[in-house]
Amino acid sequence: MTNTRDGFATKKRFNTDVISRYALMAVASLTVLILFFIILFIVYNSTDAIADVGLWEFLTGTVWKPSADAYGAVPVIVGTILVTAGSVAIAVPIGVGAAIYISEVSSERARRILKPAVELFAGIPSVVYGFFGLVVMIPFLSGIFSEQMPTGFAWITGSLLLGIMALPTIISVSEDSLKAVPRSYREASLAMGATKWETTKKIVVPAAVSGISAAVILGIGRAIGETMAVMMVTGNAAIIPEPLWNIFSYIRTITASLALEMPEVVVGSTHYSALFVLALFLMIMVLAINLIAGYVVKRTKMKFEGNVSEGRFSDLLKKEKIRDIKTAAGLAIIFLIVLLAATLFVDLTMSAVIALAAVIMYKVLAAGLSKLSRKTIEKLAHLSLLAIILLVIGMLVVIIGDIVINALPSLNLEFITEYPKNMGTEGGIFPAIVGTLELVAGTALIALPIGIFSGAYLAEYAVSGKTTSLIRHAIDVLNGTPSIVFGLFGMTALVIFFGFGYSLIAGCISLALMIMPVIIRTTEEAVRSVPHELREASRAMGANKWQTTVKIVLPAAFGGIMTGSILGLGRAAGETAPIMFTAVVLMQSSLSDSIFDPVMALPYHLYYLATEGTADPSMQYATALVLLVIVLSMFILASVIRERSNKKNKW
Amino acid sequence: MVIRMNEIILDIKDVNLWYGEKQALFDVSMPVESNRITALIGPSGCGKSTLLRSMNRMNDLVSGCRIEGKMEFRGNDIYDPSNDVNSIRKKIGMIFQRPNPFPMSIRDNITYGPKIHGITDKKELNEIVERTLQQAALWDEVGDRLDKSALALSGGQQQRLCIARALSTNPEIILMDEPTSALDPIATSKIEDLACELQKDYTVVIVTHNMQQASRISDKTGFMYLGKMIEFDDTEKIFNKPKEETTERYITGRFG
Repeated sequence: MTNTRDGFATKKRFNTDVISRYALMAVASLTVLILFFIILFIVYNSTDAIADVGLWEFLTGTVWKPSADAYGAVPVIVGTILVTAGSVAIAVPIGVGAAIYISEVSSERARRILKPAVELFAGIPSVVYGFFGLVVMIPFLSGIFSEQMPTGFAWITGSLLLGIMALPTIISVSEDSLKAVPRSYREASLAMGATKWETTKKIVVPAAVSGISAAVILGIGRAIGETMAVMMVTGNAAIIPEPLWNIFSYIRTITASLALEMPEVVVGSTHYSALFVLALFLMIMVLAINLIAGYVVKRTKMKFEGNVSEGRFSDLLKKEKIRDIKTAAGLAIIFLIVLLAATLFVDLTMSAVIALAAVIMYKVLAAGLSKLSRKTIEKLAHLSLLAIILLVIGMLVVIIGDIVINALPSLNLEFITEYPKNMGTEGGIFPAIVGTLELVAGTALIALPIGIFSGAYLAEYAVSGKTTSLIRHAIDVLNGTPSIVFGLFGMTALVIFFGFGYSLIAGCISLALMIMPVIIRTTEEAVRSVPHELREASRAMGANKWQTTVKIVLPAAFGGIMTGSILGLGRAAGETAPIMFTAVVLMQSSLSDSIFDPVMALPYHLYYLATEGTADPSMQYATALVLLVIVLSMFILASVIRERSNKKNKW
Repeated sequence: MVIRMNEIILDIKDVNLWYGEKQALFDVSMPVESNRITALIGPSGCGKSTLLRSMNRMNDLVSGCRIEGKMEFRGNDIYDPSNDVNSIRKKIGMIFQRPNPFPMSIRDNITYGPKIHGITDKKELNEIVERTLQQAALWDEVGDRLDKSALALSGGQQQRLCIARALSTNPEIILMDEPTSALDPIATSKIEDLACELQKDYTVVIVTHNMQQASRISDKTGFMYLGKMIEFDDTEKIFNKPKEETTERYITGRFG
């Protein structure tokens, strides 16, 4: 060794340690740059339309008809809000109920099956949900409500579907917050002779209420940014429902407008620019929801750090006093909801009678319930929760079962290995499978290095300060950005501005940007969970921070990093919106041989087959099944890796 | 009895150390003699681990930690800003309270240090593995399964592996921070035997909460209390006729 002086090397000003620190910081800062460019491109592209049409017209105009130069965004904004609100009304009671069952009622063994099952739900690509809505829900609902919605395409169909899709988020985040309620609370309540249900209702759920609200808000965020599923089942007429609560009306969301109109507009026209205005509105709505979620989560944290326990019981006391008012208000709300709902079917007088009957029935039922013993009430409550969880699992079984059974007739080796013929109505889906795998591989090449090193930077190097907080905020915003916005950005920035054209690389970059936040977060979490002793051991041997990070910490966090990466890539494999105007073509008769060529992809192919409706249904099902198998096997692989690394790393 | 004259390999002079606002060490001085075992004893929170961790600048990793005074390794101040901290730690290794092997194979655990410091030759690395495992009295137990995970070893074996790992960079001083506190009595006595073996070739500084351990294995003992070095002397003197009353009260168990 040179440079030694009495055994020690002289300190160098620029060593690998210092250089690597700055390099990592630069990588992590990329997220800020990406977010900046996404916003820049959207705002820049929207200026033309705002100048031509005027912001006021966008915000107040009630007609969206670009062919007639009418750019009133009210119908699509209202549509977005209504579909989301409907989905929340459906998903919240079911989701929270299921979470309570999993956390409070089910046995540990059942829990170990239920939790992964719920996570599996989250793995189903949105285009597959849309396909399921199209082929199963729409015929079913239009059969029941043939008077009100003969086609089956409607707000309510969209809300139902989005509600199902929001369930996994709501269930798993709520369950986490319920599980986080200290055991001592439960024990204290049970020790005073409360039943398990009373404890759940009066102690556990109130203590977890902030976490549950955060779960609900996150669910809303997912629903509002959803594109493919919702546009496949809502009819997409840009109208305001008449009356406003007409859940059987056609409806169109902002995301659907973007997905439907973007492929048809002339680049540079007012219409083109107007779509970016819509994207801007969407971003603002999502951002607002994220801000609220951030606030709620922060409050939850403060609560668990022990600032609020005083207020808890006085809150409950106050609630006691206003109970009478609340009961009256509750009755009025029931009356109003039933009345409004009934007017969709019968005339006003008849509706009023029905609503009154409903209120009386509710009163009678409530009186009857209060006469039952506490033990019976507990049984009833637990039975209802069981019914909810069975409903959730039932839906999962129906969705997957329906696809598997109906896919079998068309699923054979030729279907997987042949090129499509006759606009996809014959032949196979070989190029779509290859295209999807290429997209996933390319996305991995881009997203993994950036995501993993950013996560490592945040966990190992970042000191709290302005830069770090900026990076974290950028990641949060990117995480909440709807997938269609990445598609839009990919189109305007990569396809047009950088001249990549519809190409594999443009699709991969768009997908990579979308999944990067997930990879960064899971990497950061995994790196943080590496025990401090390992770092100390390495540093005590004279390894510098960079060597310790690369050779000890990252390998030790490998399981967690892999899990997050595969989950992210699984999402990328099933996404349609980011690639539909950046990378995909309908038909290919040979594989593309350059990253600047477009590809076929399974999600888009399924969307095309399902909405064109000319292909044999079993071919559509088979396409859905192949996509499902690819995506779900990635999810299962991820959870196997997680289980194994959890078992292995018992330090 | 042969009396060896030993040089002072690490000379600690008037060291003060702060964690943020809180001062943890007060004017601590202590000469560490080469090829000896020096023990640090004292009640929890007395600063003995802090002092040990400042001997190879592990306290640099604690934010808000500030140190004044001198620690001269063969006359060269460890805290001289021109010294590369990683090469200091190469010369002054450390063993921790809980065995902390890396989640890798036994072989990779040991070759980690040499590789970090630039040794790439396979043959040389293999020699280091065998030599250090022999020195740590672990070779007979694991020599035939070097590529198995280090996490599969027992706690005592893991700690001896950590000692072998520390030896792999060819240090001169080995700092041991309560190395047996997580081990059973049999594993503990093996580590103690090992420490006595090691002093032939290395200098050992050991922090222990176990006074029997200090009296069994060490040549010199420092008693610390409330961040101060109350007394530093031959182990025999500390345990038989301490000069300070606090020391006597501590070693006779009449403390507090």
